[in-house]
Amino acid sequence: MRSPLVAPFAVGLLAVASQLPAQTATAPTFAPPVKLMAGAKGLGENRLFPSPVLHDMDGDGLADLVVGDLRGRLTVALRQRGAGVPMFAAETKVMANDGAELDFANW
Amino acid sequence: MSPQFVDFDADGDLDLVAGTFDGSPHLARREGNGWRQPEQILDAEGVRITLGEFWDHDAKKWSKTTRGDLPGEAPATGHATSAIAFDDDGDGDLDLLLGDHKSGHVYRRENRGTAAAPKFARGNQRVLGGDAPIDVPGTVATLRLVDFDRDGRVDLLLSSMGDAYSDKAGGGVFWCRNIGEGKQARFGPLQTLVPVSTKGKEAANRPDSGLYAEAGDADGDGDLDLFVGGYSHWRPKGKELTAADQQRVQAIHAATAELQQELQRLTAEAQKASAGVADEAEAGKRYTEAYKAQKKERDQNRERMQKLTEELGTLVPAAQRRSFVWFYENTTPRPQ
Repeated sequence: MRSPLVAPFAVGLLAVASQLPAQTATAPTFAPPVKLMAGAKGLGENRLFPSPVLHDMDGDGLADLVVGDLRGRLTVALRQRGAGVPMFAAETKVMANDGAELDFANW
Repeated sequence: MSPQFVDFDADGDLDLVAGTFDGSPHLARREGNGWRQPEQILDAEGVRITLGEFWDHDAKKWSKTTRGDLPGEAPATGHATSAIAFDDDGDGDLDLLLGDHKSGHVYRRENRGTAAAPKFARGNQRVLGGDAPIDVPGTVATLRLVDFDRDGRVDLLLSSMGDAYSDKAGGGVFWCRNIGEGKQARFGPLQTLVPVSTKGKEAANRPDSGLYAEAGDADGDGDLDLFVGGYSHWRPKGKELTAADQQRVQAIHAATAELQQELQRLTAEAQKASAGVADEAEAGKRYTEAYKAQKKERDQNRERMQKLTEELGTLVPAAQRRSFVWFYENTTPRPQ
Protein backbone atom coordinates (compact mmCIF):
# COMPACT_ATOMS: atom_id res chain seq x y z
CA MET A 1 0.00 0.00 0.00
CA ARG A 2 1.17 3.50 -0.73
CA SER A 3 2.44 5.30 2.36
CA PRO A 4 -0.22 7.08 4.39
CA LEU A 5 0.68 10.33 2.61
CA VAL A 6 -0.42 12.26 5.59
CA ALA A 7 1.98 14.95 6.63
CA PRO A 8 4.69 13.68 8.94
CA PHE A 9 3.55 14.69 12.32
CA ALA A 10 6.51 15.15 14.54
CA VAL A 11 9.51 14.74 12.34
CA GLY A 12 11.76 12.34 14.17
CA LEU A 13 9.05 11.01 16.41
CA LEU A 14 7.62 8.83 13.68
CA ALA A 15 10.97 7.11 13.45
CA VAL A 16 10.84 6.45 17.18
CA ALA A 17 7.33 5.08 16.88
CA SER A 18 8.32 2.71 14.11
CA GLN A 19 10.89 1.08 16.41
CA LEU A 20 8.32 0.33 19.05
CA PRO A 21 6.44 -2.93 19.18
CA ALA A 22 2.91 -2.95 17.84
CA GLN A 23 0.34 -2.36 20.53
CA THR A 24 -1.59 -5.30 21.80
CA ALA A 25 -5.33 -5.58 21.55
CA THR A 26 -5.63 -3.60 24.81
CA ALA A 27 -8.25 -0.89 24.43
CA PRO A 28 -6.52 2.51 24.30
CA THR A 29 -7.00 4.73 27.34
CA PHE A 30 -6.64 8.50 27.63
CA ALA A 31 -6.13 10.97 30.46
CA PRO A 32 -8.95 13.45 31.06
CA PRO A 33 -8.85 16.08 28.32
CA VAL A 34 -7.09 19.40 28.75
CA LYS A 35 -8.14 22.58 26.99
CA LEU A 36 -5.34 23.77 24.70
CA MET A 37 -4.10 27.34 24.62
CA ALA A 38 -2.80 29.34 21.67
CA GLY A 39 -1.00 32.32 23.15
CA ALA A 40 -3.29 33.85 25.76
CA LYS A 41 -6.47 32.51 24.16
CA GLY A 42 -8.10 29.11 24.02
CA LEU A 43 -7.06 27.28 20.85
CA GLY A 44 -10.01 27.23 18.47
CA GLU A 45 -12.11 29.08 21.03
CA ASN A 46 -15.34 30.44 19.58
CA ARG A 47 -14.52 29.18 16.09
CA LEU A 48 -17.40 27.51 14.24
CA PHE A 49 -16.74 23.76 14.52
CA PRO A 50 -12.93 23.90 14.87
CA SER A 51 -11.23 21.03 13.06
CA PRO A 52 -7.53 20.55 13.98
CA VAL A 53 -4.93 18.82 11.86
CA LEU A 54 -1.22 18.41 12.62
CA HIS A 55 1.37 19.73 10.19
CA ASP A 56 4.83 21.24 10.53
CA MET A 57 4.08 24.61 8.95
CA ASP A 58 7.35 26.38 9.78
CA GLY A 59 9.79 23.50 9.26
CA ASP A 60 11.13 23.50 12.82
CA GLY A 61 10.53 19.76 13.25
CA LEU A 62 7.48 20.22 15.46
CA ALA A 63 3.95 19.49 14.36
CA ASP A 64 1.85 22.64 14.49
CA LEU A 65 -1.92 22.70 14.68
CA VAL A 66 -3.79 23.93 11.64
CA VAL A 67 -7.44 24.54 12.47
CA GLY A 68 -10.20 24.63 9.87
CA ASP A 69 -13.74 25.78 10.54
CA LEU A 70 -17.25 25.73 9.15
CA ARG A 71 -16.63 28.89 7.13
CA GLY A 72 -13.82 27.14 5.24
CA ARG A 73 -10.98 29.23 6.69
CA LEU A 74 -7.77 27.97 8.29
CA THR A 75 -5.53 29.22 11.06
CA VAL A 76 -2.21 27.88 12.29
CA ALA A 77 -1.00 27.73 15.88
CA LEU A 78 2.75 27.06 15.94
CA ARG A 79 3.91 24.47 18.46
CA GLN A 80 6.19 25.78 21.22
CA ARG A 81 8.98 23.64 22.61
CA GLY A 82 8.51 22.24 26.08
CA ALA A 83 7.37 19.21 27.99
CA GLY A 84 3.90 18.49 29.27
CA VAL A 85 0.67 19.61 27.67
CA PRO A 86 1.52 20.99 24.21
CA MET A 87 1.71 24.78 24.05
CA PHE A 88 1.07 26.82 20.94
CA ALA A 89 1.60 30.40 19.81
CA ALA A 90 -1.42 32.56 18.98
CA GLU A 91 -3.36 31.50 15.90
CA THR A 92 -2.69 33.30 12.63
CA LYS A 93 -4.56 33.03 9.34
CA VAL A 94 -3.37 30.66 6.63
CA MET A 95 -2.96 32.63 3.42
CA ALA A 96 -3.02 31.45 -0.17
CA ASN A 97 -0.50 32.26 -2.90
CA ASP A 98 -2.65 35.10 -4.18
CA GLY A 99 -2.17 36.99 -0.91
CA ALA A 100 -5.77 36.44 0.22
CA GLU A 101 -6.89 34.20 3.03
CA LEU A 102 -7.04 30.55 1.93
CA ASP A 103 -10.77 30.10 1.46
CA PHE A 104 -12.40 26.71 0.97
CA ALA A 105 -15.52 27.74 -0.90
CA ASN A 106 -18.50 27.04 1.25
CA TRP A 107 -22.22 27.29 1.08
CA MET B 1 -14.49 21.43 7.18
CA SER B 2 -11.88 18.71 7.65
CA PRO B 3 -8.45 19.63 6.28
CA GLN B 4 -5.92 16.93 5.31
CA PHE B 5 -2.33 17.49 4.18
CA VAL B 6 -1.69 14.97 1.42
CA ASP B 7 0.17 14.69 -1.89
CA PHE B 8 -3.01 14.54 -3.92
CA ASP B 9 -1.43 14.74 -7.38
CA ALA B 10 1.78 12.78 -6.72
CA ASP B 11 4.08 15.71 -7.50
CA GLY B 12 6.05 15.35 -4.28
CA ASP B 13 4.54 18.10 -2.15
CA LEU B 14 1.66 18.29 0.27
CA ASP B 15 -1.62 19.67 -1.00
CA LEU B 16 -4.67 20.36 1.14
CA VAL B 17 -7.81 18.28 0.73
CA ALA B 18 -10.93 19.17 2.69
CA GLY B 19 -14.58 18.25 2.78
CA THR B 20 -16.67 21.35 3.39
CA PHE B 21 -20.24 22.09 4.36
CA ASP B 22 -21.26 22.62 0.74
CA GLY B 23 -21.18 18.82 0.44
CA SER B 24 -18.11 18.36 -1.79
CA PRO B 25 -14.39 17.70 -1.29
CA HIS B 26 -12.04 20.51 -2.29
CA LEU B 27 -8.36 20.63 -3.18
CA ALA B 28 -5.84 23.44 -2.61
CA ARG B 29 -2.77 22.55 -4.65
CA ARG B 30 0.66 23.24 -3.22
CA GLU B 31 2.55 25.62 -5.46
CA GLY B 32 5.91 27.09 -4.56
CA ASN B 33 5.90 28.10 -0.92
CA GLY B 34 2.13 28.14 -0.50
CA TRP B 35 -1.20 26.89 -1.76
CA ARG B 36 -3.44 27.95 -4.58
CA GLN B 37 -7.03 28.85 -3.75
CA PRO B 38 -9.14 25.67 -3.49
CA GLU B 39 -11.02 24.02 -6.32
CA GLN B 40 -13.73 21.39 -6.21
CA ILE B 41 -12.57 17.82 -6.81
CA LEU B 42 -14.44 16.44 -9.81
CA ASP B 43 -15.19 12.89 -10.86
CA ALA B 44 -14.04 11.25 -14.11
CA GLU B 45 -16.97 12.87 -15.97
CA GLY B 46 -16.12 16.35 -14.70
CA VAL B 47 -18.98 16.48 -12.20
CA ARG B 48 -18.46 17.62 -8.61
CA ILE B 49 -18.36 14.81 -6.07
CA THR B 50 -21.28 14.67 -3.63
CA LEU B 51 -23.53 12.31 -1.76
CA GLY B 52 -27.28 12.97 -2.03
CA GLU B 53 -27.34 16.58 -0.82
CA PHE B 54 -25.23 19.58 -1.71
CA TRP B 55 -25.28 23.35 -1.87
CA ASP B 56 -25.85 24.48 -5.43
CA HIS B 57 -23.63 27.55 -5.77
CA ASP B 58 -25.31 28.64 -9.01
CA ALA B 59 -28.93 28.32 -7.84
CA LYS B 60 -27.96 29.37 -4.29
CA LYS B 61 -30.01 26.65 -2.66
CA TRP B 62 -29.65 23.13 -1.25
CA SER B 63 -30.18 20.50 -3.93
CA LYS B 64 -30.48 16.72 -4.11
CA THR B 65 -29.11 14.16 -6.51
CA THR B 66 -29.23 10.40 -7.01
CA ARG B 67 -26.36 10.47 -9.50
CA GLY B 68 -23.96 8.67 -7.18
CA ASP B 69 -26.34 5.90 -6.14
CA LEU B 70 -25.21 2.40 -7.04
CA PRO B 71 -27.39 -0.62 -7.96
CA GLY B 72 -27.76 -2.94 -5.00
CA GLU B 73 -26.60 -0.27 -2.54
CA ALA B 74 -28.83 1.82 -0.28
CA PRO B 75 -29.17 5.34 -1.78
CA ALA B 76 -26.47 7.71 -0.53
CA THR B 77 -28.91 10.39 0.55
CA GLY B 78 -26.53 12.14 2.93
CA HIS B 79 -24.35 15.22 3.01
CA ALA B 80 -20.57 14.79 2.68
CA THR B 81 -18.87 17.40 4.84
CA SER B 82 -15.64 15.49 5.40
CA ALA B 83 -13.26 13.82 2.97
CA ILE B 84 -9.85 12.18 2.96
CA ALA B 85 -7.67 10.95 0.14
CA PHE B 86 -6.47 7.43 0.80
CA ASP B 87 -5.16 4.52 -1.26
CA ASP B 88 -7.97 2.30 -0.09
CA ASP B 89 -7.44 -0.47 -2.65
CA GLY B 90 -3.64 -0.47 -2.66
CA ASP B 91 -3.28 0.20 -6.39
CA GLY B 92 -0.88 3.12 -5.93
CA ASP B 93 -3.28 6.01 -6.38
CA LEU B 94 -5.47 7.92 -3.97
CA ASP B 95 -9.15 7.13 -3.66
CA LEU B 96 -11.53 9.36 -1.73
CA LEU B 97 -13.42 8.54 1.44
CA LEU B 98 -16.41 10.74 2.22
CA GLY B 99 -17.97 11.14 5.68
CA ASP B 100 -21.72 11.66 5.87
CA HIS B 101 -22.89 14.50 8.11
CA LYS B 102 -26.44 13.08 8.06
CA SER B 103 -25.68 9.47 8.89
CA GLY B 104 -22.86 7.45 10.39
CA HIS B 105 -21.75 6.07 7.03
CA VAL B 106 -18.50 6.51 5.15
CA TYR B 107 -18.47 6.30 1.36
CA ARG B 108 -15.73 5.52 -1.10
CA ARG B 109 -15.06 7.00 -4.53
CA GLU B 110 -12.58 4.80 -6.32
CA ASN B 111 -9.79 6.44 -8.33
CA ARG B 112 -9.74 4.67 -11.71
CA GLY B 113 -7.07 6.97 -13.08
CA THR B 114 -3.54 7.32 -11.88
CA ALA B 115 -1.82 8.91 -8.90
CA ALA B 116 -0.90 11.98 -10.98
CA ALA B 117 -4.19 12.17 -12.90
CA PRO B 118 -7.04 10.91 -10.72
CA LYS B 119 -10.32 9.84 -12.31
CA PHE B 120 -12.92 9.23 -9.62
CA ALA B 121 -15.84 6.89 -10.14
CA ARG B 122 -19.35 8.40 -10.04
CA GLY B 123 -20.74 5.89 -7.54
CA ASN B 124 -20.77 6.22 -3.76
CA GLN B 125 -19.92 2.88 -2.21
CA ARG B 126 -20.33 2.39 1.53
CA VAL B 127 -17.19 1.40 3.42
CA LEU B 128 -17.42 -1.61 5.69
CA GLY B 129 -16.30 -1.81 9.32
CA GLY B 130 -16.24 -5.54 9.97
CA ASP B 131 -19.08 -7.20 8.06
CA ALA B 132 -21.43 -4.21 8.03
CA PRO B 133 -21.22 -0.65 6.73
CA ILE B 134 -19.46 1.69 9.17
CA ASP B 135 -22.12 3.43 11.24
CA VAL B 136 -20.69 6.11 13.54
CA PRO B 137 -22.95 7.08 16.47
CA GLY B 138 -23.91 10.72 16.08
CA THR B 139 -23.13 11.06 12.31
CA VAL B 140 -19.69 11.59 10.81
CA ALA B 141 -17.88 14.87 11.52
CA THR B 142 -14.43 13.97 10.29
CA LEU B 143 -12.12 11.20 9.11
CA ARG B 144 -8.38 10.78 9.68
CA LEU B 145 -5.73 8.25 8.69
CA VAL B 146 -3.44 7.02 11.44
CA ASP B 147 -1.55 3.85 12.24
CA PHE B 148 -3.14 3.76 15.64
CA ASP B 149 -1.89 0.35 16.73
CA ARG B 150 1.56 0.75 15.07
CA ASP B 151 1.23 -2.43 13.04
CA GLY B 152 2.35 -0.73 9.82
CA ARG B 153 -1.15 -0.44 8.36
CA VAL B 154 -3.13 2.77 8.23
CA ASP B 155 -6.24 2.71 10.38
CA LEU B 156 -9.30 4.93 10.15
CA LEU B 157 -9.99 7.47 12.90
CA LEU B 158 -13.52 8.85 12.95
CA SER B 159 -15.25 11.42 15.12
CA SER B 160 -18.88 12.35 15.30
CA MET B 161 -21.15 15.35 15.41
CA GLY B 162 -23.90 14.46 17.86
CA ASP B 163 -26.45 17.11 18.77
CA ALA B 164 -24.59 20.41 18.67
CA TYR B 165 -27.46 22.64 19.74
CA SER B 166 -29.41 21.08 22.62
CA ASP B 167 -29.12 18.60 25.48
CA LYS B 168 -29.42 15.46 23.36
CA ALA B 169 -26.47 13.04 23.08
CA GLY B 170 -23.26 14.50 21.70
CA GLY B 171 -20.38 13.04 19.71
CA GLY B 172 -17.44 10.72 20.31
CA VAL B 173 -14.18 9.49 18.78
CA PHE B 174 -13.77 6.04 17.24
CA TRP B 175 -11.41 3.99 15.13
CA CYS B 176 -11.57 1.08 12.74
CA ARG B 177 -8.46 -1.07 12.73
CA ASN B 178 -7.09 -1.90 9.29
CA ILE B 179 -7.12 -5.69 9.26
CA GLY B 180 -6.27 -6.06 5.59
CA GLU B 181 -3.53 -8.56 4.91
CA GLY B 182 -2.36 -7.35 1.51
CA LYS B 183 -2.16 -3.85 0.08
CA GLN B 184 -5.92 -3.40 0.12
CA ALA B 185 -7.37 -1.84 3.27
CA ARG B 186 -10.04 -3.79 5.14
CA PHE B 187 -11.45 -2.20 8.26
CA GLY B 188 -12.54 -3.99 11.39
CA PRO B 189 -15.57 -3.05 13.50
CA LEU B 190 -15.88 0.42 14.96
CA GLN B 191 -14.20 0.79 18.37
CA THR B 192 -14.65 3.63 20.82
CA LEU B 193 -11.79 5.89 21.90
CA VAL B 194 -13.82 8.73 23.45
CA PRO B 195 -17.39 7.79 24.39
CA VAL B 196 -20.37 9.73 23.09
CA SER B 197 -21.03 12.64 25.45
CA THR B 198 -24.16 12.62 27.55
CA LYS B 199 -23.60 16.30 28.47
CA GLY B 200 -25.36 17.55 31.61
CA LYS B 201 -22.27 18.95 33.35
CA GLU B 202 -21.70 22.09 35.39
CA ALA B 203 -18.40 23.03 33.72
CA ALA B 204 -16.69 22.61 30.37
CA ASN B 205 -14.59 19.49 30.78
CA ARG B 206 -14.59 17.86 27.35
CA PRO B 207 -15.72 18.39 23.77
CA ASP B 208 -19.37 17.34 23.79
CA SER B 209 -20.58 17.88 20.25
CA GLY B 210 -19.19 18.52 16.81
CA LEU B 211 -16.07 16.48 17.53
CA TYR B 212 -13.21 16.82 15.02
CA ALA B 213 -10.38 14.53 16.09
CA GLU B 214 -6.76 14.35 15.00
CA ALA B 215 -4.08 11.97 16.34
CA GLY B 216 -0.37 12.48 16.83
CA ASP B 217 2.46 11.74 19.24
CA ALA B 218 2.57 15.05 21.07
CA ASP B 219 4.93 13.95 23.85
CA GLY B 220 7.28 11.68 21.94
CA ASP B 221 6.44 8.58 23.93
CA GLY B 222 5.63 6.55 20.83
CA ASP B 223 1.88 6.38 21.15
CA LEU B 224 -0.79 8.55 19.58
CA ASP B 225 -2.51 11.25 21.58
CA LEU B 226 -5.70 12.95 20.45
CA PHE B 227 -6.40 16.57 19.57
CA VAL B 228 -10.14 17.11 19.45
CA GLY B 229 -11.99 20.23 18.39
CA GLY B 230 -15.62 20.61 19.38
CA TYR B 231 -18.26 22.35 21.41
CA SER B 232 -18.49 22.03 25.16
CA HIS B 233 -21.98 22.23 26.63
CA TRP B 234 -22.48 22.99 30.30
CA ARG B 235 -24.81 24.68 32.73
CA PRO B 236 -23.12 26.34 35.74
CA LYS B 237 -24.57 25.39 39.09
CA GLY B 238 -27.03 27.98 40.33
CA LYS B 239 -27.69 29.11 43.90
CA GLU B 240 -30.43 27.63 46.09
CA LEU B 241 -33.52 29.68 45.27
CA THR B 242 -35.56 31.21 48.10
CA ALA B 243 -39.33 31.45 47.78
CA ALA B 244 -38.91 35.10 46.76
CA ASP B 245 -36.33 34.10 44.11
CA GLN B 246 -38.70 31.49 42.72
CA GLN B 247 -41.49 34.07 42.48
CA ARG B 248 -39.12 36.42 40.71
CA VAL B 249 -38.12 33.69 38.22
CA GLN B 250 -41.80 33.13 37.42
CA ALA B 251 -42.33 36.85 36.98
CA ILE B 252 -39.36 37.08 34.61
CA HIS B 253 -40.70 34.20 32.52
CA ALA B 254 -44.10 35.90 32.33
CA ALA B 255 -42.56 39.25 31.37
CA THR B 256 -40.39 37.57 28.73
CA ALA B 257 -43.46 35.86 27.24
CA GLU B 258 -45.23 39.24 27.04
CA LEU B 259 -42.27 40.79 25.24
CA GLN B 260 -42.21 37.91 22.76
CA GLN B 261 -45.93 38.40 22.09
CA GLU B 262 -45.28 42.09 21.54
CA LEU B 263 -42.62 41.24 18.96
CA GLN B 264 -45.05 38.91 17.18
CA ARG B 265 -47.64 41.71 17.12
CA LEU B 266 -45.14 44.14 15.60
CA THR B 267 -44.15 41.61 12.93
CA ALA B 268 -47.81 40.97 12.06
CA GLU B 269 -48.33 44.74 11.74
CA ALA B 270 -45.38 45.07 9.38
CA GLN B 271 -46.73 42.18 7.30
CA LYS B 272 -50.14 43.91 7.06
CA ALA B 273 -48.45 46.85 5.37
CA SER B 274 -47.53 44.62 2.44
CA ALA B 275 -50.61 42.36 2.43
CA GLY B 276 -52.39 42.17 -0.91
CA VAL B 277 -49.56 43.84 -2.85
CA ALA B 278 -48.95 41.64 -5.90
CA ASP B 279 -45.62 43.12 -6.90
CA GLU B 280 -42.95 41.32 -4.89
CA ALA B 281 -40.50 44.22 -4.88
CA GLU B 282 -43.17 46.69 -3.81
CA ALA B 283 -44.39 44.32 -1.08
CA GLY B 284 -40.86 43.98 0.22
CA LYS B 285 -40.36 47.73 0.19
CA ARG B 286 -43.57 48.34 2.18
CA TYR B 287 -42.69 45.65 4.71
CA THR B 288 -39.20 47.14 5.18
CA GLU B 289 -40.61 50.64 5.66
CA ALA B 290 -43.15 49.43 8.22
CA TYR B 291 -40.42 47.45 10.01
CA LYS B 292 -38.13 50.47 10.16
CA ALA B 293 -40.96 52.61 11.54
CA GLN B 294 -41.13 50.23 14.52
CA LYS B 295 -37.46 50.78 15.40
CA LYS B 296 -38.08 52.59 18.69
CA GLU B 297 -40.53 49.95 19.95
CA ARG B 298 -38.27 47.10 18.84
CA ASP B 299 -35.21 48.65 20.48
CA GLN B 300 -37.10 49.09 23.75
CA ASN B 301 -38.34 45.51 23.55
CA ARG B 302 -34.79 44.21 22.95
CA GLU B 303 -33.40 46.26 25.83
CA ARG B 304 -36.04 45.00 28.27
CA MET B 305 -35.51 41.41 27.08
CA GLN B 306 -31.77 41.69 27.60
CA LYS B 307 -32.16 43.00 31.14
CA LEU B 308 -34.58 40.22 32.02
CA THR B 309 -32.27 37.59 30.53
CA GLU B 310 -29.33 38.94 32.52
CA GLU B 311 -31.37 38.96 35.74
CA LEU B 312 -32.61 35.42 35.08
CA GLY B 313 -28.99 34.34 34.58
CA THR B 314 -28.14 35.46 38.14
CA LEU B 315 -30.90 33.22 39.50
CA VAL B 316 -30.90 30.29 37.07
CA PRO B 317 -27.61 30.12 35.12
CA ALA B 318 -28.13 29.73 31.41
CA ALA B 319 -26.79 26.79 29.41
CA GLN B 320 -23.36 27.51 27.93
CA ARG B 321 -21.92 26.30 24.63
CA ARG B 322 -18.47 27.21 23.36
CA SER B 323 -15.90 25.69 21.02
CA PHE B 324 -12.35 24.75 22.00
CA VAL B 325 -9.61 22.30 21.00
CA TRP B 326 -8.76 19.65 23.61
CA PHE B 327 -5.76 17.40 24.20
CA TYR B 328 -6.19 13.77 25.27
CA GLU B 329 -2.91 12.19 26.37
CA ASN B 330 -2.68 8.51 25.48
CA THR B 331 -2.15 6.57 28.72
CA THR B 332 -2.47 3.04 27.37
CA PRO B 333 -0.05 0.77 29.26
CA ARG B 334 2.96 -0.25 27.19
CA PRO B 335 3.30 -3.94 26.30
CA GLN B 336 6.08 -5.53 28.40
